[in-house]
Amino acid sequence: MKKIQTKEKKTILVIEDERPLLEIVNEKLIEKGFGVITARSVDQVFNAMLDKNGLGVIAATNIKQALDYLENLEQVDAIWLDHNLIGKENGIDFVKKFKANGGLWNKIPIFVISNTESSETIKSYVNLGVSKYYVKSNHKLDAIIKDINNSLNPKTKRKTVRV
Amino acid sequence: MNKQSIISIPDDTIFKLKILAEEKESVRRKLVVTAEKLRLKAKQLAVTAEEKESVRRKLVITAEKLVATAKEKERVRRKFATTAKQLTITAREKESVRRKLAITAEQLRIKAKQLAVTAEEKENVRRKLVITAEKLVMTAKEKESVRRELVGTAKKLRLKAMQLAETAKEKESVRRKLAITAGKLKKSRETLERKVIERTKSLEMARAKEEAILLSIGDGLIATDEKGKIILINKTAEKLLEKESKNVMGKIFSETIHLEDEYGIPIPLAKHPVSMALLGNKISTKNVSEIIYHARKDKSRFPLSIMVTPVTLGKKVIGTIKVFRDITNEHQIDRAKTEFVSLASHQLRTPLSTVSWYTEMLLGGKIGELNEKQTKYLNEVYQGNQRMIDLVNALLDVSRLELGTFPIEPKQINIIKLIKSVIHEQGPQINSKKIAFSFLPEKVPIINADPKLVRMIVQNILSNSIKYTQAEGQVSISISSVDKKNVLFKVSDNGYGIPRNQQDKIFTKLFRADNVREKDTDGTGLGLYIVKSVVENSGGKIWFESTKEELGTRFFVTLPIKKIL
Repeated sequence: MKKIQTKEKKTILVIEDERPLLEIVNEKLIEKGFGVITARSVDQVFNAMLDKNGLGVIAATNIKQALDYLENLEQVDAIWLDHNLIGKENGIDFVKKFKANGGLWNKIPIFVISNTESSETIKSYVNLGVSKYYVKSNHKLDAIIKDINNSLNPKTKRKTVRV
Repeated sequence: MNKQSIISIPDDTIFKLKILAEEKESVRRKLVVTAEKLRLKAKQLAVTAEEKESVRRKLVITAEKLVATAKEKERVRRKFATTAKQLTITAREKESVRRKLAITAEQLRIKAKQLAVTAEEKENVRRKLVITAEKLVMTAKEKESVRRELVGTAKKLRLKAMQLAETAKEKESVRRKLAITAGKLKKSRETLERKVIERTKSLEMARAKEEAILLSIGDGLIATDEKGKIILINKTAEKLLEKESKNVMGKIFSETIHLEDEYGIPIPLAKHPVSMALLGNKISTKNVSEIIYHARKDKSRFPLSIMVTPVTLGKKVIGTIKVFRDITNEHQIDRAKTEFVSLASHQLRTPLSTVSWYTEMLLGGKIGELNEKQTKYLNEVYQGNQRMIDLVNALLDVSRLELGTFPIEPKQINIIKLIKSVIHEQGPQINSKKIAFSFLPEKVPIINADPKLVRMIVQNILSNSIKYTQAEGQVSISISSVDKKNVLFKVSDNGYGIPRNQQDKIFTKLFRADNVREKDTDGTGLGLYIVKSVVENSGGKIWFESTKEELGTRFFVTLPIKKIL
C-alpha cells in the first residue's frame, strides 16, 4: 500500500483503523490521482514513513526525531484522520503529537473523518486546529475527496467547520 | 447739253451712294440721339449742380449754427464752472460751521452730564441727611423704652428673690425623697442584669445549635457578607477546599475557592457564581453549560455542583450563601452515559459506512460497467443502507435526549437567515417535485438559542411538508414575532394531511401515519418526537392542524426569544 510519489501528485496520509474502509479510501484516492500513504495506528504513521525511506522502525516516544528526519524526505499534502485507531492512542493524541513539532508540519491540513459525534471530541479537534470534521456515514466518499481536493487548491481561506 | 449733261452715273455707284446716304442718315440720327442724351445729361448735371449748391449753402448755414451753439455752450460751461466754484466754497464754509456746531454740541453734552452728576450727588447727600435725622429720632425713642423696661425688670427681680427663698425649703424635702428612690432603683438594676445574662445564654445556645446544624450538613456551606468576605464556613467546606476556618474568615471568597473550567482555565472573577449572586441573582450550576472544577493544592481537581443564593434585606443584598458539593460520582456516570452513546454510534455507523462507500464505488462504474438491472439493484442497496443511517442518527438523538446528554450551546441567531439556508438545502427536493414554494418573513428580533437545534426543528418540519405533498403542490413558510417574547414559525402545505384518527400519535416514537406509508415515502418515525422534545426543552410549543375542510397540514412552532435560564 505504499506508493512512490512525484512532485505533481498530491499525497494524502490516511489514518484509519477499519481495514475495509482503509482499502476503499485508498482505492478512491488513487483513482482520483492522489498518492497515498496508509496507517492504522499512530505508531504506524511514523514508522510507515520511516520504513519506506529505509530508516527502520522507531518507537512512538521518538516522534520528534522521526519528524526531523522526515521533513526533508517526505511530503504529505493532507491528512485523512479517523478518531478511533488501533492501540492506546486515538486521533486527538495524533494531532497533539503532530502539532507539537511545529514547523512545516503545522501547515498540513488535517481532515477528521470519523463516526463519533460527541461534541466534546469535536470541540477538542476544533480547538487543536483541524481543517474540517466529517461524520463518515453522513457523506459520500466522492464528496469528501472533492472537498479535500478543493481545499488543496484553495481560492479562499477557510475556517474550521464541523460538517 | 441739258439732259445730256447729266452725268451718267453707273448703277452700283448709285447703289453705293444710297447706302452712304442711309449711313449718313443713321449717323445723323445717332448724333441727334446722342445730342439729346447730352442735353439731358447737361440738364441732369445742372440739376445736380443746383442741388450741390443748395446742399453747400445748407452746410454753410449748419456750420454757422454749430459755431454759434459751440459759443453758447462755452458760455454756459463757464457759468457752471463759476457756480461750481461758488458751491465748493459754500460747502467748505458749511462744513466748518457744522464742525464748530458739533464741538459746541459736545461741550454742551459734557456740561449737561456734569450738571446731572452734581444733581445726583446733591440728592444722595439730601437723602443721607434725612436717614440720619430719622435714626436720631428712633434712638431717642428706643432709649426711652429701654429705660422703662429696666424699671419693670427691677421690680421682677425683687419678686423672684422672695420666691427663691421658698423653693430652697421645698428642694430639701425633695432631695430626701430622691435618696430613698435611688436605693430602690439600684436593686431593680441588679435583677435586670441577672435576667439579661440568662437570656443571652439561652440565645447563644440556640445559635450554637443552629450553627452546629449548618456546619455539619453534608454539603459545603460558605456564607459571605455584602462585600464577599467569608463570615461562615462549615466543616464539609473546609474539608473539600482544604482550608481551615480560622484562615479564611474575613477573607474575600475568591481567595479561598479556586474555580476553573474544563480546560483548566480559571473562571474570571465576574463570572464567579458568588460575584453574580452579590448582584442579586440566584445561581445554580445546573443552569450553566460548562462544568466547574475546584483545583486542589496537589493540582488535582474535582467537579462541583454549586448553588449560590443572595441574602436580601428589603431590596439590598447583604450577603450570599453558597452551598456546594463534590459531584465526581455523578460526573463519572454522566461521562459513562456519553461514552456509551458515543461508542454505540461509532459501532453502528462503521459497517453502515462500509456498505455505503463500497456501493458508491460500484455505482461509480469505475470498478466495471453495470447493466441496468445491476444499477437498479445496487441503488436499492444504497437507499436501504441510507435509511438505516438515518434511523441510527435519529435513534442516537433520541437516546441523547433521554439521557440528558444532548449538548445545548445557545448563541444569538438570525432566524430568517437560518431558515433561508435550510430552504436552500431542500432546493433539490423542492425542484424535483416542482413544488410552488413561498417564504414570508416578517421582521423578527435576534433570538438566543442553539443554532443546531433550531436548524433541526426547521429542517425536520420543512422536509416533512415537502415529502408529504404531491408534485406541483404548495408549501409556504412564515416567521413572525408574537407578544414580544416569542417568535412563531409556521409551515403549511396542501399535501396529504394527517388522518383525524391518528393525529394523537403523531409525536410518538417511531410512529408513521397510514396515508404516508401507503404513498411509499421514507421516514424514521422519530423526527417529530425529537423536534417536540427539543422545542419543549427550549421553552417553546409545537402543534399542528389538519382538517377535512382545509386540505393539507399546518405546523406551528413558538420559540422564546430569550433562552430561559
